[in-house]
Parts: sequence; structure tokens; C-alpha cells
Amino acid sequence: MATGNYGTIRPADVSVDDVEILYSYTPSRELVSSVDLLNLDPSEVLIPTNSPNDVNEILGGLYTLKLPTAVFGSKGFYSIIIRPKQIRTTIQDCGVLIDNQDVKGLAFDINQIPTELQSRFENGNLVGYRIEYLKENTGTGQNKIQNLFRIITSNNRALPITQNQGNDNASQAYTFNDNSTTVFCTLTPSSAPSVKPNAVPFIGNPQQGVIITNTFFNPIMLEIEMVEYDDETLAYALYSNQSKSLEDGIYTIYNFGNQIYKQYNLYEVKDQFTGKPLYEVREQKFTIDPTKDFDDVTDF
Amino acid sequence: MEYIRKKIGLESYTVRSIPKSVLITNTEGKTVIDDTNPKYFYGKIPNYIVDSNGNYILDSLGQKIKNTVDVSLFLTQDVDDMGIFSDKTFTPSNTTLPAPPPNFNSFTYGRLAGAPLNFYLTGENTLSGNTDDGYLNQVRSYRLDVNGNPIYVPFLNTSDNSKKVFNGVISEDINKTIYSIGSNPIEVSDYQQNNISSINSGIEFITYKNEYVRSVDEYGKNLSFFKTNFKSNSGGWNINNTSLNAIIKKEEYLGIVFKPEVNSVVFINRGVADIFERHAILSELKTTNDIDTNRGGFVRV
Repeated sequence: MATGNYGTIRPADVSVDDVEILYSYTPSRELVSSVDLLNLDPSEVLIPTNSPNDVNEILGGLYTLKLPTAVFGSKGFYSIIIRPKQIRTTIQDCGVLIDNQDVKGLAFDINQIPTELQSRFENGNLVGYRIEYLKENTGTGQNKIQNLFRIITSNNRALPITQNQGNDNASQAYTFNDNSTTVFCTLTPSSAPSVKPNAVPFIGNPQQGVIITNTFFNPIMLEIEMVEYDDETLAYALYSNQSKSLEDGIYTIYNFGNQIYKQYNLYEVKDQFTGKPLYEVREQKFTIDPTKDFDDVTDF
Repeated sequence: MEYIRKKIGLESYTVRSIPKSVLITNTEGKTVIDDTNPKYFYGKIPNYIVDSNGNYILDSLGQKIKNTVDVSLFLTQDVDDMGIFSDKTFTPSNTTLPAPPPNFNSFTYGRLAGAPLNFYLTGENTLSGNTDDGYLNQVRSYRLDVNGNPIYVPFLNTSDNSKKVFNGVISEDINKTIYSIGSNPIEVSDYQQNNISSINSGIEFITYKNEYVRSVDEYGKNLSFFKTNFKSNSGGWNINNTSLNAIIKKEEYLGIVFKPEVNSVVFINRGVADIFERHAILSELKTTNDIDTNRGGFVRV
């Protein structure tokens, strides 16, 4: 017997159909309020990168997140969560296989799954998915059972059949049948540890709500701070072209493309009686004077 | 969960161009901006990309291009092998799919209900390459010519199981010997009677009698053999190496990548231990090595 199993970290080549993106916005860190998470459509904002050798082959790992400025165009903090897509359903039944009574599992109804996600429940496709559980009595408090999850280790279409127990009782068990719309999933851990033979792990109850999540990639969170000024804009102030109109006192700072970046009015404040200069003022001008275009100013 | 922080300047997305078309002369005769002009975007971050004249840039389909803040990400997946699965029989679907779905892939579609086995089979795959003449000895007859060299008789089956397997020469001339190992005898017979033009089963070898290959083995010893080519037409997934099963995961095999091998010749399951248990175990020890190996080191000295 060998237990030389392997593990690795690989660049994910997940389809955007298996991704969920949530975000929240706050204009400052000081704002104390609850965080409202909103959804983004991954098919519109997450673009996989293709291999340089084949435009139809995903490179793996590298994705571009294209955040629309219509949503992400304000100064402040955007928290973006990129996580595997969740499928919510209820457990149809719990049981064992007809000729493997020690193999326990959960049954799900494919018809309860949204149509676009039903292919995930075909035979063998749920292997590696994670199941989290919702509380059965959801009257108050937290609806999700925290810190509890199971991993699906196999899934097949299955049909419940009754097996005679030799008396009036008949128990139900599952046999694999591709004509059925019920899917039988085995999970881990589902058997008792050797040190606690009576401690059978919880894998769920019939009619209990569950969240089924793929494990095609590790979730990440981005905090994007949108700022008005960065190194580049500070360099405009230091190193870019500038003009000072002596006629009207308009001081213009241009960006490196010689477009008007900022304009200021320069003036002096004098004592109204003595005419003594009191202040030299530089005041930002919010109505841009277009006649201070750099090309026009320097066209002589 | 990985946590990434980025600081992005809004200035990169802010329009700083002032098109001439948005300039007007006011009542005082001064040139000013008509900020009601739809082409005026100065100081704003438009939802769609505009050029320096204030016109929306269109894509190849004539659609406006969304203005986006682009961030590169690297997504990874942690993978662990959960070990071997167990095959189970299943009742196939009553409805058989007439053709595989587009771009059918056994992983993404799984064991698709209604998909027959031939959806999973690949076409015949031809494999070819060079090797040594080691198999030539297997197809020679027991007769020798006047020089003491073996005589190769076409279509003489040298296999131990000649009804099921053909090992033998197909043709021979002064330059080469063509022979087949592991072919279907019926197919060879059909070929011999010119019913078919080629033999697709087994491995075909061609050994060239006048061409030598010199090589060195792993111990540095010089080797020499006749140049030999091989060809197989029966590679890929076919009905002989593929079957459809439901697979389940037995918890006791989690993380075990090979089937358990039991080395004990005899295994006695004693069930409930009784007062004779220890004596019975000791009676099984015949050598000092047994002390270490019996019951995985159960007995300790």
C-alpha cells in the first residue's frame, strides 16, 4: 500500500462562468457604517488571458479585471472579492449505496438546480466541490452553520430502492441509474475516525439547505484605493511645462501631453487704504480658460 | 484567501483634452468653453472611451468601448490527490444520445447520461519508432540454413496460444524481415489470402538485415543489433482498454493512490480476542523475523 499522494499549486484556468465577484465601496477608512456588497457580472469584467502560441488556449493563472469607471470612478476604497461560484439547493435525501452500506452520501434533485448549472451535476463533475450547510431552524441569528464543510468525493445519478430488512421494516438505499434525476454524492469525511468509532461525522439532513461551491481556484480579495494624485501627477507639478499669464494672472500646469492639468489665479491681496501688499495668493481655478492651451501660448 | 492592495490614480482615466469644437465666443468677445456641448468631457471620467476631439471610440462592431480600470490578477488552485476511486456498475440511460455534444470532453461532461462508450473512444492511433531486433528471435523457425542461420518462414505462428495470438513473419527478402507480434490470427489469415490489405492488430516490426546499429548499454558495454523499425495501429482508447463505470470514493482509500496489497499468505480474522489470543499469536512465530513482521510489529520483545 502506498500513500505517496501528491499536492501542488497550479495556475487556475477556471471559466468565468464558475466565478462570482462581489464588491463594496467606502469613500474613506474613517467612515463607520455597514458594508453593502454588490454583485458584478464576471463575464463582463473578468477576462482570461490566452496563450501567445494559441489564441484559443487559455494561458492559465493570468486574468484581467476590467472595472468599469461608471462604477469604480470615485475616489475611495473598493473591496473586491473574487470567489468560486456558489450553487444553493436543498438536500433531497441522505442514504447509503445498496451494496456498499458503509458508503454514505447525500442525494440532490437535478431539477432544483438552475438550468445553466445542471451540467455541473452530471456524473463525476462535482468531485472536489465543497458543501457548506445552512441551519435547519433559521428563525433567528446566523443562518449558516459556521466552520463546517465537507468535500464531495464522487457523484452519480442514482435511484432510491427499498431493501427488505427481514422484518416489517424496509430501508431505502441507492443504486446508480442514469435514467434518474437524483444525484448521489459521497463526501469526506463521512466515516467515523478509528479513535472515535461512534462519532459519525455530520454530512447533512434531508431538506437542509446547502451551498455547493467549486474549488477551481483560491478566492482572493482586492482592496483598490482610487486616488486623485499619484506619482505621475506630482511629477506634473515638478517637471512638466507651465505658463503664467502676466496679463490676467492665470497660472497653468500642463501634463506631459501638454494638456491643461490645473489652472490657478495668481493675485495679491493689498491693504485697501495704504495699498501695502499683504498676501500673494494662488487659488485654484475651476472654470478652465481654454485660451491657455500650451500650443497656443507658445505659438509665436 | 489572498489579499491584494492596489492604489490607482484616477487621473489616468480623466479627460484633459479640450476640443476646438467646444469653444465659443461669449458676449464679451472672450473664448470660453461651452460646457453644455456633448463633446466636452474635460475633468470628467466618461463611461466610454473618447478621443481628443470628444468623439466616442467605437469597436469593430460599432459599439462604444467601456472605460475600464484594468487590474491584472494571478489566480491559483491548490490541488491534492484524494487517491483511488472504486468502480461500480450502473443502469445506463434508456435514451442514448445520437451524437456527442459539441467539443465533448469527458472531464467537463463527466460520465454523461445517455452517452455510449464510443463517445469516449479515440480513433485508431498509429505509433511508430525504432528499436532493437530483440523480437526477431521469437519468430524464427527451428530450422537452420547451411550457414547455421535461422530460417524465417512466412505466416508460421510461433505463439504459445496460436488460436488467439499470432507471432510470426509476414514477409522476408534478402534485405529485411517483416514480422508481427501479438496480432489477431484471423486478421493475419485474411491478409495471407489477400482479403485485406494490411494487418492492423499487434505490433509490426521490420528488421533490416544489412544495417547495424551500434550503441552502449548502461554499463558502458558496446552493443550491436540490426536496425529495426516498429509500427502499431491499435493505440488510443478503444473497446479493449476502456469501460464505463460509475465511480465512488470509499473513505478508507482517501489519500491512497494504489490498491492495498496484502502480503500475508494466510490471514486469520480472530474476531473477539479471548484468553488464548496471546498464545495463539506466539504459536505463529517460527523465526526471529516473524517477531518483527507478525501483525505489523504487534508482538514486541
